[in-house]
Amino acid sequence: MKLRRAAIDTVWIAWMAIGYIVVLMPIVVVFFASFSDGNTFRFPPSGFSLKWYQAAFESSEYRNALSVSLLVGILATLVSLTAGTLAAYALSRSTFRGKTMIETLLLAPLALPHIVWAIGLLQIYAWLSIGGTLLGLVLAHAALTLPFAVRIMLSTFSQLDKTLQDAATTLGASPMRVVVHIVLPLIWPGVLTSALFTFLTSFNEVTVSVLIAGSRYLTYPVRLYSELRSQGIDPTTIAISAMLVAMIIVFALIGERFLNWSRRV
Amino acid sequence: MARKSTFLLLTPGLFVTGAVFLSPFAFLALTSFWTQRPNSLLVDPAFTLVNYVRIATDMFFLRVLFHTIYLGVITVLVCLVLGLPIARWIARRAVVSRGILVVLIVTPMVSGAVVQTLGLVNLLSLLGVINGLLKQLGLIDRSIRFLGDELGVLIGLVQAFLPLMVLPLLNTMSKLPEDLESAARSLGAPAWRLWMLVILPLSMPGIIAGSVLVFFASVTSFVTPQILGQGRIQTFGTVMYQQSALVNDWPFASALAVTMMVLLGGLVLALRAIRQRLARRSNVAGAV
Repeated sequence: MKLRRAAIDTVWIAWMAIGYIVVLMPIVVVFFASFSDGNTFRFPPSGFSLKWYQAAFESSEYRNALSVSLLVGILATLVSLTAGTLAAYALSRSTFRGKTMIETLLLAPLALPHIVWAIGLLQIYAWLSIGGTLLGLVLAHAALTLPFAVRIMLSTFSQLDKTLQDAATTLGASPMRVVVHIVLPLIWPGVLTSALFTFLTSFNEVTVSVLIAGSRYLTYPVRLYSELRSQGIDPTTIAISAMLVAMIIVFALIGERFLNWSRRV
Repeated sequence: MARKSTFLLLTPGLFVTGAVFLSPFAFLALTSFWTQRPNSLLVDPAFTLVNYVRIATDMFFLRVLFHTIYLGVITVLVCLVLGLPIARWIARRAVVSRGILVVLIVTPMVSGAVVQTLGLVNLLSLLGVINGLLKQLGLIDRSIRFLGDELGVLIGLVQAFLPLMVLPLLNTMSKLPEDLESAARSLGAPAWRLWMLVILPLSMPGIIAGSVLVFFASVTSFVTPQILGQGRIQTFGTVMYQQSALVNDWPFASALAVTMMVLLGGLVLALRAIRQRLARRSNVAGAV
């Protein structure tokens, strides 16, 4: 009986391993390939080298793409974090007719297909002639990431004890003082979580950006996408991607350890 | 809070959602009834059903539609087969490893779609890791063509969307009452009956939620079929992209987009009706 149990467990774990291998293999391969010394990654690997990392730091082309991604990510985060925090505060502190509807509306981008949206957005941008501009990209990314900010901030505000604010107000603190000394210190983990989440979503976004990005503001994922499309992978991008994924994983681990991400999102 | 300040605080968020996110959908619905003037970038804003008639009668688009749905269904099934054991193990058996198992399964979701695709191209290409490994093991002597083939696209879809299946499954399966299972077991139910009669029926909400998420994500996905299909596998997403960005027939792309929205919306309504019927039936059963 015990033996049978162990046999079942072994089969079970092996079956699970298939799922994990399928999910994680691409990232693992990117890591290994980034240390390859050939121009293309082959299996078995021919030798170890850091030359693609060197190339990555020397390439101004990729530095440009990364700084566009960084810029768009930061601006979009600022917009959606501000709008999202204000909206979440209003929603959590008042009751009015149509509140549920507004909440659903603000979270809608999570559920509606991005490719469909992008086709419409492309046409509106062409019509307003802001296609391929920084403004267009930032607005698109802000709209996409707003629901994350709203959702995380809603749960943050719902955990905020309202009596603290009332107490401060009763003791004569001005509304500004209440926000600075009571509200902000209590909500900053939520703000940080939504900022990082928003930024990462924007930084990784590709479906919409491919359609609306012009030639001036090519984000890193869009560059990588066009490279994959034209069938030529520059090993430099493998090294850059490996570094990015490593950074993201480190961020995720820090966020999980100190801010309990998995319970906030 | 005063009504006025509530409204003021909501304005920026509603502007971004309304003007940037929702208006394109309205625009799509409008332009889908227009037509593109031949050999020009101008559209003809006269109401016509031409685009929809073309979608409904052109075999190419119908075939693409069915193929997209077919890929979505297969992806859902494979994700269920791989996801159920993972969710069950994390929910019931993993104690120490729970955190790490959850983090590992969501890693792809935070590390970006294109990087995943880059890894998949390395894995699946003719001289890639999988073909190299299989040759090394002597299992094949000619490379298998994954890229530009349905199989490659399916692997990519499962890879990208398995986390979307595992998370809702895990959510439901962690909440299953343990005493029901031990009752069934002590009454002598073998493992397969336990699964068929207890675990799967009680996990239905998670199974449905996960399946809907994975199906939606795969039928609307665009990067995976575009890159792994290498232009040989057409899905609704890639055809929409071609019609808008390459052919420049925006009204027709709009009509395709609206068609997809309507089909997905219909599916959501149908599922809601099924769920209500199921709920009613279980109420009746409970009363009896």
